[in-house]
Amino acid sequence: MSSGGSTTTNISGEWILLWTMPVVWLIWLASFVAFPGFVHPMSPRMTAQEVSAFYFNPENLARIRYSMIVFNWFGVALIPMLAMIAMQIRRMAHRTPIMTYSFIGCIAGGPTLFCMADLFWLLAAFRPERDPSLVQLFNDLAWVTFTSQVPFLVAQNVFLAVAIYLDRQARPIFPAWVAHFNLLSAAAIAPAAFTALTLDGPIAWDGAVSYWLKNITIALWIVVMTVVVGRNISRQRRELEVAA
Amino acid sequence: MKGTLAWRWRHDPKLELWLAWVTIIVFYNIFGIVFFGMTRTQPPPPPWWDHARIAQWFSDHHYGLLIGFGIIFVMGAFAAVANALIAYSMRRMSVSPIFAYSYLIIYSLAAVPGMLLTCIALVVGAMRPDRDPALLGLLYDMGFLSFSGTMGIFLIGSVIWGIAILLDKNRVLPKWFGYFNVCNAWTEVVVATCCINKSGPFAWNGVIAFYINMVVFAVYTGVFITYLKKMIEREDVLQLSF
Repeated sequence: MSSGGSTTTNISGEWILLWTMPVVWLIWLASFVAFPGFVHPMSPRMTAQEVSAFYFNPENLARIRYSMIVFNWFGVALIPMLAMIAMQIRRMAHRTPIMTYSFIGCIAGGPTLFCMADLFWLLAAFRPERDPSLVQLFNDLAWVTFTSQVPFLVAQNVFLAVAIYLDRQARPIFPAWVAHFNLLSAAAIAPAAFTALTLDGPIAWDGAVSYWLKNITIALWIVVMTVVVGRNISRQRRELEVAA
Repeated sequence: MKGTLAWRWRHDPKLELWLAWVTIIVFYNIFGIVFFGMTRTQPPPPPWWDHARIAQWFSDHHYGLLIGFGIIFVMGAFAAVANALIAYSMRRMSVSPIFAYSYLIIYSLAAVPGMLLTCIALVVGAMRPDRDPALLGLLYDMGFLSFSGTMGIFLIGSVIWGIAILLDKNRVLPKWFGYFNVCNAWTEVVVATCCINKSGPFAWNGVIAFYINMVVFAVYTGVFITYLKKMIEREDVLQLSF
């Protein structure tokens, strides 16, 4: 693994990308609160008429559209953060780049699927005169995509954990607890994959497990990973300054 | 003791490669059980059914679809390991890294249009058996047509791997497998007919568009899994620089 002469500049760039995170969190939080279907998640038990009435209620419509537009703009802002994690995996004491490649292979998946859910919500909200059963269909597609599409998140958490376990050197890139935390996060996110099985209870898309546990875990994961990656980047910066 | 799993976890210099290889085996087995056994979506039911029959199909396979595809939603992205190991095979070849990176990125896209969209459509169909049968028919079409949503990915991806193998002077994989990649790319040309034909050999459940393709794909997958294993066994364990 070679570190070129321009490493200092690279790390300053990483520093800038890292500090975009708290700004992006505020934008996500604002969009989350603005979307009327999130703070009290919409029930899968709503009839087609109720779903249509919810979308085209004048109090909701503008908030649905604007929050989803902002989510579409900034959902993808997670990718630089994931790429920074990939760079940390690349620095680990592995013999092959397979763990880095596996992680990189997952990076685009989560945000892409989120963009699809986002578009389904926008489509559902597009024409008030549309048949309510079609509005309900796109509302279902949006919620099922948003809730059940955890495969890339689960896989990338597991890949990161295995990468950390295989990072066998005197001073590993991440402490072992980061690996355990990633496995726990994967386990907390995974049950949401079965959300369509039931319209009530904890597994339903508005339930305690599929909605609250999954989304709180994702939020916590992003915050924890930002902090540990940030610590690494600042350590790597100090090491470079000492070496210079 | 040397050779035990615990020893290999601690000391096997090829551990990363073997973990990747075993993950591929586990992934394809679960994939097969879910698609062929639990959900009965492979071989696919016919495209010519009327709405009432499609609604019946959704209710017959209610739990199979919802549980089976739930499993896919948990582990579907572990296929990334297969793409990583194949990309790595190209990094060992005497070709530009562009081949490995193109392959990795192209196949990272594959799961979304070619597998997950299929599963999402059929899960949304299964979750409300009382939905208007015309809409169930739409979801059914969306599900089964999305199976061929990866035509371009397999077409271009196989050609990239094939060219890398044919150009390679390090003999990482055999030349005939390079030509076989081109064969595999051809099946994606043939499968395109299922977007047009609703019955006969070129429909999505037809002899040509499904069965022959499935046989070629299954043989292709079996062959590359075997050759990746041989590649790992042969590999020297010098520290490589990537």
